[in-house]
Amino acid sequence: MIATQRLSFDDDNPCRPRHFKPPPCAAIVPDGPAKQAVETCRTRLLVTGALFVLLFSVVALRLAEIVLLESGSGEAQLGRLRTATAPVPSHADIVDRNGNVLATTLDSPSLYANPKQIIDAAGATRKLVQVFPNLSSAEVYAKLSSAKSFVWIRRHLTPTEQYSVNQLGIPGLEFEHEERRVYPDGDLTSHVVGYTGIDNAGFAGVERALDSLLKEGREPLQLSLDLRLQYILHEELQRVIDDFTAKGGAGLIMDVNTGEILAMASLPDFDPNHPAAPDLDHPAISLADRMFDRITLGVYELGSIFKIFTVAMALDGGTSTLTSTYDATHPIRIGRFTISDYHGKHRVLSVPEILMYSSNIGAAKIAVAAGAEKQRDFLARLGLLKPPKIEISEVGTPHYPAKWREVNVMTIAFGHGISVTPLSFATAAAALVNGGVLRQATLLKLPPGSTPQGQQVISPKTSEQMRKLMRLVVEHGTGTMAAAPGYVVGGKTGTADKVSGRHYAERKLLSSFVAVFPINDPKYLILTMVDEPHPNKQSHGYATAGWTVAPATSRIIQRIAPLLGVQPVDEAAPEVQRALMVESLQGKRIEAY
Amino acid sequence: MIKLSTLFWLVLVSTTGFAMFAVKYQVQSLEEDLNRTKKATIEEEHAIRTDEAEWAYLTRPETLDEMNRRYLSLAPIATKQLRTTLTDIPLRAPTPAPVDVATADTPTESGPPATLASPIMPASPITPASSITAASLQKQTGVGERAQPAPATATPKPIVSRRPRSLDELIAQVAASR
Repeated sequence: MIATQRLSFDDDNPCRPRHFKPPPCAAIVPDGPAKQAVETCRTRLLVTGALFVLLFSVVALRLAEIVLLESGSGEAQLGRLRTATAPVPSHADIVDRNGNVLATTLDSPSLYANPKQIIDAAGATRKLVQVFPNLSSAEVYAKLSSAKSFVWIRRHLTPTEQYSVNQLGIPGLEFEHEERRVYPDGDLTSHVVGYTGIDNAGFAGVERALDSLLKEGREPLQLSLDLRLQYILHEELQRVIDDFTAKGGAGLIMDVNTGEILAMASLPDFDPNHPAAPDLDHPAISLADRMFDRITLGVYELGSIFKIFTVAMALDGGTSTLTSTYDATHPIRIGRFTISDYHGKHRVLSVPEILMYSSNIGAAKIAVAAGAEKQRDFLARLGLLKPPKIEISEVGTPHYPAKWREVNVMTIAFGHGISVTPLSFATAAAALVNGGVLRQATLLKLPPGSTPQGQQVISPKTSEQMRKLMRLVVEHGTGTMAAAPGYVVGGKTGTADKVSGRHYAERKLLSSFVAVFPINDPKYLILTMVDEPHPNKQSHGYATAGWTVAPATSRIIQRIAPLLGVQPVDEAAPEVQRALMVESLQGKRIEAY
Repeated sequence: MIKLSTLFWLVLVSTTGFAMFAVKYQVQSLEEDLNRTKKATIEEEHAIRTDEAEWAYLTRPETLDEMNRRYLSLAPIATKQLRTTLTDIPLRAPTPAPVDVATADTPTESGPPATLASPIMPASPITPASSITAASLQKQTGVGERAQPAPATATPKPIVSRRPRSLDELIAQVAASR
């Protein structure tokens, strides 16, 4: 390249020997404007060169990074690709404790048409009506031949329908991707799971209370419910309602040691897939009645089953002992009220007998002996004076007298004059038998083996006494029909007169039964109640708890115990008898109820 | 020289260019493949969701109950069926000691379990009468055919002498005696 450099015109001397090179002369430094031009040129070259060097080194470095360092794995690079991503359902599934789907979000395509693209409207109409027999062909034809460019044909197609429409192969028909909440089990879990409205927003039950959790979560939400138990409870409640032509019924099964609710049903109920649809089998039942959750939202004067709290309060507070006796010979007259016994023994009764024969007079006297303050504190401690806490938003606030007078003390002792939700009742009753620890009821499955923190509300000794007394009720008292041989059932009956207006309606009953089994080692609590049962032939004219819900409880226990893995025992075995023996009644003849 | 280097660069440029485009198209086609597969996966996922819902619908307790009533007539387990547990089942009666058999002289007493577990008659002092009945019993139970060579080989294993304490032990003993 230097050869081309022209140093001067003198160098072109042809006589110059080839090996001769003129001595290098000093660089020609142009002067004036030329010098300036050269300088500029050099600077520009330098800058451009530097720029190129920079760019190339960046490229080289990047290359080295990719090739040599493999800049992360291929996975990291994948994110930058424009690929289809799975549309995540807007709400997570809800499953029961065994993983059975209770609620799921399904892709539900909706069919629309672009009439401008429809070539043969009449032919398309004929084909579409074959796929959807419910559609009127006149309507579809009007839609397809309209001048619009978008008409809905049908919303929320089933997969089969979508397939059939695709099979038709009509141009101009399109699907819009939409989601729909589906409840495969229909009305079985309606009040617990709840239902959703447009955009799958939760409107009731767990769907409403845990809406945000369901929106965030991708993993299914596992409830504590057991679908099998739910079915058994639901079926037996329906049977009681049908047998006694009752207005409604409700029940729950709870694990007394953890507070988990294994089944919870309120009848009549609704199909969460079509919450507003009328019930074709029972058109007379109003929608509001079917939507009403009698377990968490309804507050009831539960009647005699409340006596377990009265007795527990007296035993725990030391105001009565198992050997204390109260005179139940005559009804109590206080103000304009008369407190009498349904099946009075008309004699002096001991505390176990009061519970066993469900004596209102006896219970009232036990409560009076303890006093208003103790009673109120005790019920508050059991959480009966505030709305229950559970993963459902619809909860009922209890009704109780603002001024706790003596007459209130007496009526509350046998469950009148105070209305609580059956859920609160069950939660408190579980605490009475499980060793005295009150644990909040939950609809969420707890990890196996874990026991949530609780609050000691009565002493373990009182709890043991309560277990014995509740066993006595089923063995000899008002609840004999709840016995399930082998499962050592303990419980308490309750038959309350319903309040209608300002008075108690004589003929309108609310019969309920609380059962715990096996009572010698309490595991499960079952609360059943039936609203306005009417006597039938089999019940010999009775509609009381002992004849309605107690036999249902027995059937439920016999069906669910094998599923729950409860081993039946010989109830006559000495160790069982010893564990449930009430010393004060030993050697005495126990009268039949 | 100039031409050679130019040629070199030309070749290099065209090779790199070709390679680059080859890789690019390959990546593009791979990307398409990936997209297709992803779409198919999504469709499958949707199908699985639908099938799961359908499965839940078809296996809901109500349907199962009805199906059972129609085709199987299975009843819930009765309490009395659960009363007895595995531990309540008595183990096989202990094999009477050979001496006892001899003295008691009641061959019918030793049932099939005894014959199963005692293929070592010649080694034990049994009266001829009882040994004959034991042999006939063996034939009846069908163990005799296999047990017959045993006296000839005469391998006296004292496995019979101990009463099995658990089911596992019993199975092990039966297995060992064969």
